[in-house]
Amino acid sequence: MSGFETYLTSRMTGPDSHTLASYKKHGGYVALERALKEMQPAEVTESVKASGLRGRGGAGFPTGLKWTFMPDPAKDPRSRYLAINADESEPGTCKDRVIMDEDPHGLLEGILLACYAMKCEASYIYVRGEYRHQYDRTVAALEEARAAGLVGKNILGSGFDCEIYMHKGAGAYICGEETGMMESLEGKRGHPRPKPPFPAGFGLWGQPTTVNNVETIFNVPFIVDKGPEWYRSMGVESSPGNFLVGISGNVNKPGVYEAPLGTNAKVLLEADHFAGGMTEGRKLKAWFTGGSSTGMMPGETVDVGMDHDSVKAAGTMLGTAAMIMLDDTQCVVRAMQIIARFYDHETCGQCSQCREGCQWLHQIFKRIEEGQGRDGDIDLLTSIGNGMAPGKTICALADAAAIPAHLMVKHFRADLEEHIRDGGCKINKTGKCAAGHSHKAPATEKAEAQA
Amino acid sequence: MTKITVNGRELEVDASKPLIAACDTAGIDVPRYCYHPGLEPVGSCRICQVEVSEGGRPPRVMAACRTQVSEGMVVNTEAAVAHDARRECLEFLLKNHPLDCPICDKAGECTLQDYSFQEQQAAGRSTEPRATLEKRVDLGEVIMLDQERCILCTRCVRFQEEVTKKPELTNAGLASNSYITTFAGRPLTGNYQGNLADVCPVGALTLKPFRFEARVWNLEKSSSTCAECSRGCSISVEVLRRGDVKRIRPVFNPDVNQWWMCDTGRFSFPKVNDAERLTGGLIASGDDLMGVTTGEAIRHAATVLTGTSKSALFASPFLTVEEAAEVKILGDSMGADLLFISPAANDLKDDLLHTGDPCPNRKGLEQAGFRAISAADAATMITGLDAAVLVGERILKLFAGHNLGTSKLVTFDTSACLASGVEACIAIPFYVEKAGTWINVDGNVGLLTIARPAPASVAPLERTLGELTTAMARSGAGV
Amino acid sequence: MALPANLKAEFTELITHYPESRAGLIPALHRCQEDLGGWITPDIMEDLAEFFGIEPVEVYGVASFYPMFRLTPRGTNVIKVCHNISCDLRGADKVLERAKELTGAEVHGTSADGKFTLEVVECQGCCTTAPMIDLNDTFHENVTLEQLESLIGGCK
Repeated sequence: MSGFETYLTSRMTGPDSHTLASYKKHGGYVALERALKEMQPAEVTESVKASGLRGRGGAGFPTGLKWTFMPDPAKDPRSRYLAINADESEPGTCKDRVIMDEDPHGLLEGILLACYAMKCEASYIYVRGEYRHQYDRTVAALEEARAAGLVGKNILGSGFDCEIYMHKGAGAYICGEETGMMESLEGKRGHPRPKPPFPAGFGLWGQPTTVNNVETIFNVPFIVDKGPEWYRSMGVESSPGNFLVGISGNVNKPGVYEAPLGTNAKVLLEADHFAGGMTEGRKLKAWFTGGSSTGMMPGETVDVGMDHDSVKAAGTMLGTAAMIMLDDTQCVVRAMQIIARFYDHETCGQCSQCREGCQWLHQIFKRIEEGQGRDGDIDLLTSIGNGMAPGKTICALADAAAIPAHLMVKHFRADLEEHIRDGGCKINKTGKCAAGHSHKAPATEKAEAQA
Repeated sequence: MTKITVNGRELEVDASKPLIAACDTAGIDVPRYCYHPGLEPVGSCRICQVEVSEGGRPPRVMAACRTQVSEGMVVNTEAAVAHDARRECLEFLLKNHPLDCPICDKAGECTLQDYSFQEQQAAGRSTEPRATLEKRVDLGEVIMLDQERCILCTRCVRFQEEVTKKPELTNAGLASNSYITTFAGRPLTGNYQGNLADVCPVGALTLKPFRFEARVWNLEKSSSTCAECSRGCSISVEVLRRGDVKRIRPVFNPDVNQWWMCDTGRFSFPKVNDAERLTGGLIASGDDLMGVTTGEAIRHAATVLTGTSKSALFASPFLTVEEAAEVKILGDSMGADLLFISPAANDLKDDLLHTGDPCPNRKGLEQAGFRAISAADAATMITGLDAAVLVGERILKLFAGHNLGTSKLVTFDTSACLASGVEACIAIPFYVEKAGTWINVDGNVGLLTIARPAPASVAPLERTLGELTTAMARSGAGV
Repeated sequence: MALPANLKAEFTELITHYPESRAGLIPALHRCQEDLGGWITPDIMEDLAEFFGIEPVEVYGVASFYPMFRLTPRGTNVIKVCHNISCDLRGADKVLERAKELTGAEVHGTSADGKFTLEVVECQGCCTTAPMIDLNDTFHENVTLEQLESLIGGCK
């Protein structure tokens, strides 16, 4: 159908795909058994490193390299943890939920392999609170795994102990930031921590911790099973492997699709085995490459390989590979106002620039969309964005709010200017563009007011 | 020690402390809100950002409070990017901050004002409506909270977490709907609430006893030592136009009280603003007391004392070491034992500062050879004597409730003695009106300086005591 | 008020998952909201403070941070409509308008008869199955206006 090898979704084939029985029928837990019996922990890490796997949570950091940041347990005997970031709250992103719904054992096996590699005694899966079904599925899988001797003490008789615990978040996007997540896991407000220190040195309860995304860890059993060379045969050099790309918005077949990294976004948008093109044959006006934090790009830029380096060269980021497609009936200013509102709601509020800046950006975009935009607002947006980021705050939420604002000014200045000039939105009929709004000459209005 | 360069100066700094502390030690001022040397640094306000280059890497902006110093680090606190970062933070903070300066007690000692002027970033470009929150949250007897002024530095929350170890404040909500609050509108408790107003960089947490009382630039500030217990916290006594003491605040003393003081001491200043205080002398005249000059009162006292066979001398634990020396001379001339009234321990003792012993100079008096005696025992002694001299601030309060019989009394205190046997009362300065030394419970020296001159007719106690000693010698001392 | 015995037993087991018991606070808040009337009352906060050995104000600081925890009473049924970008592109604004009409509630308000609380929420992870509503803790994805009417109509 698609002409490329699939593995991520290879087991998601039936209504029982989430069960242990189904997982085992597909060869599940074979990699774990082999690793425990035949590989040293360092070899597992080497394998992941050699594969070139990059984090799938949005930052794209090389996973194997991140694992090596954990201290040598001989020198640092503190408790060690793997924290799984299943907070998935980046707007447009809904891929990790697919894994937890339909193949949770793949996640569990990946966790066990990662804990074996990094000598972690326990792993916590931090699931966003709204993902009740996904949480329940993973709990059920965990119970099956425990009953089968795959989780807990002396796994498969290897002497390797590893506990896995489920944990719920409660609706705050900032708890998807790795240190915000750890604060939340510890039962506190989800305020990100300044770095350094980094989680490998000071993580959960101050102990060495690695934080990995669900999809990232889900890749690990495949790498250990089939080897890094196999992994590198897919995708592109700097971003090997396949990924789960979400395509949402004004497309015919919104969905989460498996594709090799580097697949052209135009193909992902238009091919029948992917999103099947824009609804009603409309034109692509604007799109997000990887979730709201990557900002909007003009429709013409959709001809780009979906891998970390190519998207970066195009002026944005791969992020969570959550493509959001806007057709030409949409107003980009309205869309931006929604994004700005999101960050205004989700900033934790610690850093002065982010707390006030996110609100300010939202207020300005809202005014512009509703018809109260002013001359000087556009330059102000840029100035606010520059005051917020990069590198000026504890975490990157400020950057996530500022980058879309900068991209709006860069790519859609004309739309902003038009809204300000017109005193409203022609598409959504706001302000002076509202139906029935009469455009009187100012002098007449004044005369009427005085009458 | 680690070698770093700050603004072109080579410094040797303590690597266990963050960069901002190293700058403080070197006298280089880096703006800060959330950072406080007595609290763990959190790096949230972002105004301490300075330009840092380490390991030969290109310079970048880093929060000085969360930057560990490293050998060879090059820092520029005056770099253009550092000033840009400060201006950006200030504009962001002033976006929602209410323009309350004209009615805000913090004006004049507010670092939001100070840095805005320093960086010339007072006028912001925001024309958005400001957030509305609660402006008068009454948190009990000590603190008034104005949520709108709060810049969410969380010093108050962290002070309670880390110093008093009893959280009663939290930051609540999130994003631009964050605010500081207590649980269910409850008031604050404990004896350290005043420190919250000290740590608050702005006028969000203010002292109710000081609310609208004075403009801080009209206060004359002098360093002194707290009188309310034997901890002797270092304080600043702040006087309005040579009149009332309007405020007492702690002064950093690494050996005694760090940055803090308790509310008992902080709010003790009404005691020295006594409108009824004695300003001269009083002598017995029939059943009344007649106002006279201090000199006349002393001469009368000398006459009374030289005419008695059995007399004693009692000091208050508020005497300075210097005053005690003069009391010793008088005592020796009277042949009297050196005794000081030792009040019972009170229930204010805590794990932090208050010792529970309401004597600011117990150790100083003991070192000077004075012996402690309870007010009850002293009163019993006095009833068996012809005369007694009671010397020192609050000594009459220490005898309150005790029967002193009809023995002749000569008192040196800030108020009149109303016992039936009183012969002479001589006015003395309050502790904020004298220079001297107290020794605290650990043997640390606490200095007093004159925060406010005593009324012209009130002489230092050393002088009035000396005059009494001399007068007694002239009229045949001892006996 | 005191935590019900079953919740106390549940939390006692829960905290064994962590080296420091406070980590159980947010899962415990969820359970209290689920079982004890649908919102976190001051009493619940004091009970949890006692259980976890922290101050009530600390529980308040945590509970007030997380959008899923309600600190005010709610109607019998709670409807949440995502109004973030992927849902907006697929008509979430119309879903919201219709929900307001059908329930009689304002956004972040409760209908006069106490039957419905209507909330807007940020991205719930249903981007490729947009638009969505969450009705009484159940996602309804690819929701049409007809389905919305039927779902709301079927509420007690």
